[in-house]
Amino acid sequence: MATLELLNVKKQFGSVTAVENFSLFVNDGEFVTLLGPSGCGKTTLLNIIAGLEEMTSGEVRMNQRVVNHLSPFERNVAMVFQNYALYPHMTVAENIGFSLKLRKRPRQEIMERVAQVARMLELEQLLDRLPRELSGGQQQRVAIGRAVIRQPDIFLFDEPFSNLDAALRIKTRGEVKLLHQKLGVTSIFVTHDQEEALSLSDKIAVMRQGHLEQFGTPEEIYSKPASKYVARFIGSPQMDIFEGQFEYSNNRYVYRIGSIALVLPHSITIPNKPIDMGIRSEFVKIGETGFPATVHLVQPVGPFTYITVYWEGGSATARVNGISHLKPGEVVQVEFASEALLFFDRESEKRIDLW
Amino acid sequence: MFYFKRAIGSLFIRLCLFVFVGVCLAPVLWGLVTSCLPQSALTSKVPDFNLRNFTLENYVLVLDSSRGLFLGLKNSFLVALFTSIVALTFGSAAGYALARLNVPKSNTILMMILATQMFPGIVIAIPLFLAMTQFNLIDTHVGLIIVYLSFILPIVVWIQKGFFESIPMDLEKSAAVDGASPLQTFQYIVLPVSLPTLFATGVFAFIESWNEFFFAIIMTRVNVKVSSIAIAEFSGQYQTLYGQMLASAVLASLPIVVLAILFRKFILEGFVEGAVKA
Amino acid sequence: MSNEFNLKRKQMGIWFTLPTVIILILVLIYPIFASIVLSFQKVRFLGQGLSKEFIGIANYISIFSNHTFQSAFIRSIYFTAIEVVAILSLSLLAALLLNHPIGRHSFFRVVLIIPWALSPVANAVLWKWIYNANYGILNFILYSLGIIHEYVVWLGKPWLALNMILLADIWKGIPFITLLLLAGLQNIPNYLYRAAKLDGANTWQQFVHVTFVGLKTPLVISAVLQSIWALKVFDLIYVLTKGSPADSTVLLNYLAWRETFSNLDIGYGAAIANILFCMMFLLALAYIRILRPRQTRRGE
Repeated sequence: MATLELLNVKKQFGSVTAVENFSLFVNDGEFVTLLGPSGCGKTTLLNIIAGLEEMTSGEVRMNQRVVNHLSPFERNVAMVFQNYALYPHMTVAENIGFSLKLRKRPRQEIMERVAQVARMLELEQLLDRLPRELSGGQQQRVAIGRAVIRQPDIFLFDEPFSNLDAALRIKTRGEVKLLHQKLGVTSIFVTHDQEEALSLSDKIAVMRQGHLEQFGTPEEIYSKPASKYVARFIGSPQMDIFEGQFEYSNNRYVYRIGSIALVLPHSITIPNKPIDMGIRSEFVKIGETGFPATVHLVQPVGPFTYITVYWEGGSATARVNGISHLKPGEVVQVEFASEALLFFDRESEKRIDLW
Repeated sequence: MFYFKRAIGSLFIRLCLFVFVGVCLAPVLWGLVTSCLPQSALTSKVPDFNLRNFTLENYVLVLDSSRGLFLGLKNSFLVALFTSIVALTFGSAAGYALARLNVPKSNTILMMILATQMFPGIVIAIPLFLAMTQFNLIDTHVGLIIVYLSFILPIVVWIQKGFFESIPMDLEKSAAVDGASPLQTFQYIVLPVSLPTLFATGVFAFIESWNEFFFAIIMTRVNVKVSSIAIAEFSGQYQTLYGQMLASAVLASLPIVVLAILFRKFILEGFVEGAVKA
Repeated sequence: MSNEFNLKRKQMGIWFTLPTVIILILVLIYPIFASIVLSFQKVRFLGQGLSKEFIGIANYISIFSNHTFQSAFIRSIYFTAIEVVAILSLSLLAALLLNHPIGRHSFFRVVLIIPWALSPVANAVLWKWIYNANYGILNFILYSLGIIHEYVVWLGKPWLALNMILLADIWKGIPFITLLLLAGLQNIPNYLYRAAKLDGANTWQQFVHVTFVGLKTPLVISAVLQSIWALKVFDLIYVLTKGSPADSTVLLNYLAWRETFSNLDIGYGAAIANILFCMMFLLALAYIRILRPRQTRRGE
């Protein structure tokens, strides 16, 4: 068990800054995801936390203790790699027990602890197999087992599910969540898959080009994104964001996007700069009331159907339950739920509350 | 019409392949056949191919110790074996270090190694000869091994470096996280995984040592006469004993050809790729 | 921020490379410099030791005005040029053949590796027998086919002997280059051919625009490697002709050896060796120069 603190961590590769001024505090037992697209620095950061990569400046503390100079092993962290990194010439049992063998633990102890971990991860039948004889999912579990047996203070996961197919991914995701619930070990998880981040984490750190964009619970990240970047990155399909402007008509403020004008609540405060507006598809309603728009694309995905509509000056995607019988070209009534509108400063890209 | 054209095409290809194989193997086969024929069959105006004449007497005669071939084979074996072992040991270590271990000035070292493939042995042979003379290492096994290292060690380093680079870094990172020191990582993870390649590189070094001639005639006299010198002498001294001359060549080449055929996959991939990567 | 782990790795790296570096400095670097120094000296054996007398560039001057050297130089260039062209073109054909579905069988790999595996000396002995004036198979076949009317002394006539040596070396050198080019061929992605075919290219056009383009790098590498090997030829000359008839088969490498170890003019021999070294060095530079721009272009 441990707390993890990153203080102004910076990593430079020559003239390229991979991680810039990164600070974070992770509580004991928390599952935190580093989320971002390829190249945003999340794996570099993970390697720095692990001790596999030296940082250019900054501090990493575990349980208040500065660990900058400690080797990965001395930090008592365990890591699950993207490609599992199982030792190909060793059996499953030997793979799991390797760290104990290095510490010269007695053979009996190694066997017992390996058996224990194998039971927990349903690997008992596979102990004598070599990695190449295992399926992707099984290899994944061995990699996890190798980490678990260390009884580390912190678990580190480096995009462990990228090599699994969709169905297996979701299943293994569940297993990792159960494991975390059971063992309660502080975990740092790296992924570019926002759905994965949302489902697994206690907190998410959204990263962009080496910077921390936002750090918060999945709920906060989803409903109260700190910036346009976070808003677009999280949520599928991507949030619709419009570059419109405020207008005053009929004693009310409206937000104009092309030919439509959205009515805004009275309590709104209008700032004196250009503001963008965003809304998620589940809050775009097609029904009896609203403004007219033409159906452009209808995409059913099982439990929902995504309907893209357009009007002069803009388009948006709505999510409706079940199957829809609308056809492209039809005119429908569209409404944006006003409590779900999100506003962003066009220049700074940060979200602002207008009421 | 299309199928006809196709058939002609594939017939043509088969013909070409046949010719190709013939060209590659004919000289060798002729050499083998010669080595199995007695002198009389070879010196008649028309070579006498009568099967009854096939004999192994050439081989027996040639292995007679006064001809020096047996000694030559023994010396070749010793020198090639120890050169390979030494080159493998130091070369693999260096190859791993250059691949993974942040060696200072590694680029200079690599350039140096690459450059060794590109100049004639004669340049270093002269000073080495003078130095070996000074240290009384002429005509000794040790002396020859040291000289051979000059061109075999770089090759081993290059091949091994290429191979070690192909081992996923995650494997070594994982070992580090598990608590392995760099040395333990090398010992428990890298080496076991590389065993087949190490062996194959060793075989390659063995082949290169065995086939060497130039340094051998400069650095040896009588005691360390290797097989390549033995058969060269044979072709000079006993050149009219054609059957035996070829039998000696066959004997000196057989071990290597067998090794090469067995390890062809590795040699082709490793060395050819190495040349391209350079 | 010193990380102890990385420090350990660096230390281990140094220990691992040290033996190799030391050995190479002793048997490679030092001799190269010593060779340069020697070439500026007149070296003689005096009883138990050596006398070394500094004579500046006298060795080089006498080399360039020496007729034997000049002929050997020209001969080496001829030999190298012909060998490279012959091997490259024949290997290309062979590689194309082996790339064809019928030729993909591993049997052909075995066939190829046999000439490669023969030691140069064994190869020389083999061809010495084939070229034998009285009983060699070459004479027998050509005579039986009516191509010649009298047995030829292949290694006895000046121009002929050189070319017979060339032939033997070409035969030995084809396998390796074939395999190199074959690897290059197999690296050309299939979809390029499909795209060309769809664009209407016939077989010849496909060869020129897809195959040949994709083989540029392996071809350059082959050319340089083979040139260097051609300049190094020694075993064949030693076994087949020892330079005769009348020095007509003396190439530079052989000459350097002969001057040093037969005529015992060590400084002179070292000078020839260094000239040879320069030639190869320039070739290697050409190698790097031709290849490197291509690589950065690919990166862009």
